[in-house]
Amino acid sequence: MGPRWKGKGFEAKALDDPMSAIVSRLQSSMKDSNAHGLISGSSVILALSSECGNLLNSASFGRPMATVDKEKQWFQLGMEEAFYFHHILNCLEISNGDKQLVTDHDLWQYMTKRKSIFPESFMAYSHLRTKNWVVRCGSQYGVDFVAYRHHPSLVHSEYAVLVLRKGDDESHQRLRSWSEVHCAVRLSGSVAKTLLALFIDKCGYGETSPSFLNGYHVEERIVARWSPEQCREDHTVPQSGS
Amino acid sequence: MESEKWEICSSDGDLCTEDLKDEEDAFYPLSGSISKLQFRKASSRACWNSEVGMAEVVERKGQIWTTTGVLRGGKLYCSIEETLFLAEIGALVLVDENGTGLSLEGIYGKLAEEKNGCCWEHYEVYKHLKSLGYIVGRRGVPWTLKSVGTDALTEDRFITDRLGKLDLNGLEPAFDVYLPNGKFKKSSPGDPSYVLCLTRESPPSRKDVEVLERQSGHIPVKFCHVENGRVSFFSFSKVDLPVLP
Repeated sequence: MGPRWKGKGFEAKALDDPMSAIVSRLQSSMKDSNAHGLISGSSVILALSSECGNLLNSASFGRPMATVDKEKQWFQLGMEEAFYFHHILNCLEISNGDKQLVTDHDLWQYMTKRKSIFPESFMAYSHLRTKNWVVRCGSQYGVDFVAYRHHPSLVHSEYAVLVLRKGDDESHQRLRSWSEVHCAVRLSGSVAKTLLALFIDKCGYGETSPSFLNGYHVEERIVARWSPEQCREDHTVPQSGS
Repeated sequence: MESEKWEICSSDGDLCTEDLKDEEDAFYPLSGSISKLQFRKASSRACWNSEVGMAEVVERKGQIWTTTGVLRGGKLYCSIEETLFLAEIGALVLVDENGTGLSLEGIYGKLAEEKNGCCWEHYEVYKHLKSLGYIVGRRGVPWTLKSVGTDALTEDRFITDRLGKLDLNGLEPAFDVYLPNGKFKKSSPGDPSYVLCLTRESPPSRKDVEVLERQSGHIPVKFCHVENGRVSFFSFSKVDLPVLP
């Protein structure tokens, strides 16, 4: 299944303004304005100037919050998004409710405590974002993430992403029964997405520090149903009698 | 109600076809499979050889033999699944070593014994693909053995190995699948299009997939699940999503 652009000329529009460039502009803008977020529950909320806010929307991060504030735009970020800005792009400072600046390490501990699969989940998120795919939450499709080739206003998401642990730790594993496989593939297919399973291998590194992320490895696999009826029709029609 | 359904479908395009087909199957489970099988008028004859667990074809009729059976020392032998498939469509009459005719019931019985390298679920998969025109052979069993020293079937380690090895709970490559091909030659079949592994209760683990991929080399591996007569195929292929601009 190739990319499904939402309108005529949208593919060209995407090529003209590559996501890597948009994210780069966003990163600069956030750094220059000393972007600062507040961690609250499993979200990080932050206020941005309209220029910065527009860039955030263009790169498809976070969800805008409707407030009466006219000077600033408020956004809420998921844990993966916030950690991506903080640890990978180094353009976001985060404070907690006690108004203390949270370190990289503390942020990691906090997020890992709230979500045990956070290390793998973040690795998957980061892996795709670093390849310049737009990654959004996929819970409405029964998966972890959905990946878009560019901004969701221009193109439909192509991949429904499931994060799996590679290695001995089978807890929190998916696709363990055939009914799960049927379900996940069927669901993804019904919304025209390919099911992408990302196997995250910690390679023996622990998960107590974000520095371990550098040692993690990601294996990408497509889980797809093969239809021998259709496949046969794509090739020569069989001779009768054979 | 009907027109509503079609309206919803049109926006999703061909995504609905599978849904519609599945619903049909639920109400009319036999119609699809029966219409695909072509019942034959002329029957070949084969004699069951219980020592090797295969049938020796003594009288060949029709074009079916270009894509069925293995050649050993100038003789043609077919496996229990090949035998049963042809018997079901009336293309083969089977006799036992005494010359007594074996009914379909008798052949189903042989399959149920699970002593001849095949079980019911393996047969369902075999039949499903054969009915669609695919060429299916047992993985690791060459179509001919021209280059090997001995031609004697009993010493054919390829066949006896496969018979002994049927691990009904394990995950082993079961079949080589070739796309429908009117020019298929047993003497040079080429690489199969897919290697098919049958699974039991659970889907393969990632490790299983990796091992089987390595064993199959460059040939794509597919996994099959049979439930209540429904055969479904899945792949877990490795990819590398492109780095976008």
